[in-house]
Amino acid sequence: MGSREDLYEETVSTHGPALDRLARAYEADPEMRRDLLQEIHLALWRSLDSFQSRCSLRTWIYRVAHNVAASHIITNRRQNAHYLISIDDVEVTDDRRGAADTADRHVALERLAALIRELKLLDRQVVLLYLEGVDATGIAEVTGISPGNVATKIHRLKNILSRRFQEGRQS
Amino acid sequence: MTNKYSSSDIQDLWQSQPTELPRISLEELRGKTHKFERKIFWRNIREYAAGAFVVVCFGFYEWKFPALLLRIGSGLVIAGTIYVMFQLHRRASYHSAPADMGLSTGIEFYRQALERQRDALRGIWSWYLLPFVPGLAVFFTGTAVSQWTSHPLGMASLLKGYGIVVGLVAAVFYAVWKLNQRGADKLQAQIDEMNALCSHPESGEHVC
Repeated sequence: MGSREDLYEETVSTHGPALDRLARAYEADPEMRRDLLQEIHLALWRSLDSFQSRCSLRTWIYRVAHNVAASHIITNRRQNAHYLISIDDVEVTDDRRGAADTADRHVALERLAALIRELKLLDRQVVLLYLEGVDATGIAEVTGISPGNVATKIHRLKNILSRRFQEGRQS
Repeated sequence: MTNKYSSSDIQDLWQSQPTELPRISLEELRGKTHKFERKIFWRNIREYAAGAFVVVCFGFYEWKFPALLLRIGSGLVIAGTIYVMFQLHRRASYHSAPADMGLSTGIEFYRQALERQRDALRGIWSWYLLPFVPGLAVFFTGTAVSQWTSHPLGMASLLKGYGIVVGLVAAVFYAVWKLNQRGADKLQAQIDEMNALCSHPESGEHVC
C-alpha cells in the first residue's frame, strides 16, 4: 500500500472530477460549494492514514465524501427542511417545466442537479453513485442500504430520469 | 422528432460535465488542515456569543448589586450558563471530520448524527432549562425581597407582579421543551425510516 501522499494523488487523479460533481449536487451556492469541496479534500487527506485497505479505495473515498457532504447539510440545519423528499415521492414527470428544453445539455444538467438537491440525503447518495456508474453492490457498500432496497430505488430512478428527460434529444 | 435519454446517456451527460480539479498542493493541504481547524474553533466561539453575553450581564449584576440574594442568584445563572455552553459544545458543536470517517456507511454516519441530535432535544429539560432554574429562582426572590424592604406595604401587588413574571418564564420554558420534543419526534421518524432501508424490501430481513 502506498503512502498517504500517493493515495491522495491517486484519489485526486481517479476521483477528483467525481468529487467536484458531488459537491455541485449537494450545494447550489458557488462559494459554499468551494468550501464543501475543500472540506471533502481535507477530510480525505486526514482519513487516508486510517485507510489500511479496509475496503476498496473507491468505497472509502465515496463514504468520506458523502459523509462530509451530509455533515455539511446537517450543520446548515437543512436536514429537517420539509422540501427534502424520498425518491419514492418524486413525480415521474415534472409538470412545472417543459420537457423540450432539456435538449440543451446545460439546462438538462441544471435540472438534474436540482432534482438531486430535492432528495433526502440517502436517496441523494444513491442517485449520485448511480450517475457515477457505481453498481448496486458498490452503492450498498457505500451507503449501507440493503442491496434489495438499492435495486428498488435504482429502478424507480431510471423511470423518473427517462420520463423527465424523454424529450431531451432532438433528432 | 424526439428521443428518450437512456439511463447510460444520462450517466454520460452527468459524467461529461466540465469540472474543476481543486488547485491545492500537498503542502497547502497540510497547512490548510491546521487553518481549517482554527476556523472551526472560531465558528464554535461565535456560536457561544449569546452565552458570553448572559455571563457578562449577570457578571455586571454580581458586581453592581449589594444584596446577597441577587449576587448569589447572578452567580448561579452564570454557573448555569457555563454548564449549558459546555453541554452545547459537547452535544451540538461542529467538529472536524473524524479521520476514520471512511469506516462508516452513509446510513451509520447519518443515523448517528440524527441520534445525537434527537437525544440532545429529548433531554433539553435536564441540560438546557434546569441549570437556569436555581439562579433565576434565587435572583427573582432577591429582587422581590429588595422591593419588599424598600416598599413594605405593597405585598399583595408585589406577589401578583412576581407571580406573573414567574408564570411567563414557566410558559417560555414549557414552550421550549414542547417544541424540542416535537423536533425529537421528527428526528425519530427519520431514524425509523432509515432503519427500514437496512431491511430487505420484501422479506424484511435486516441486513445492516
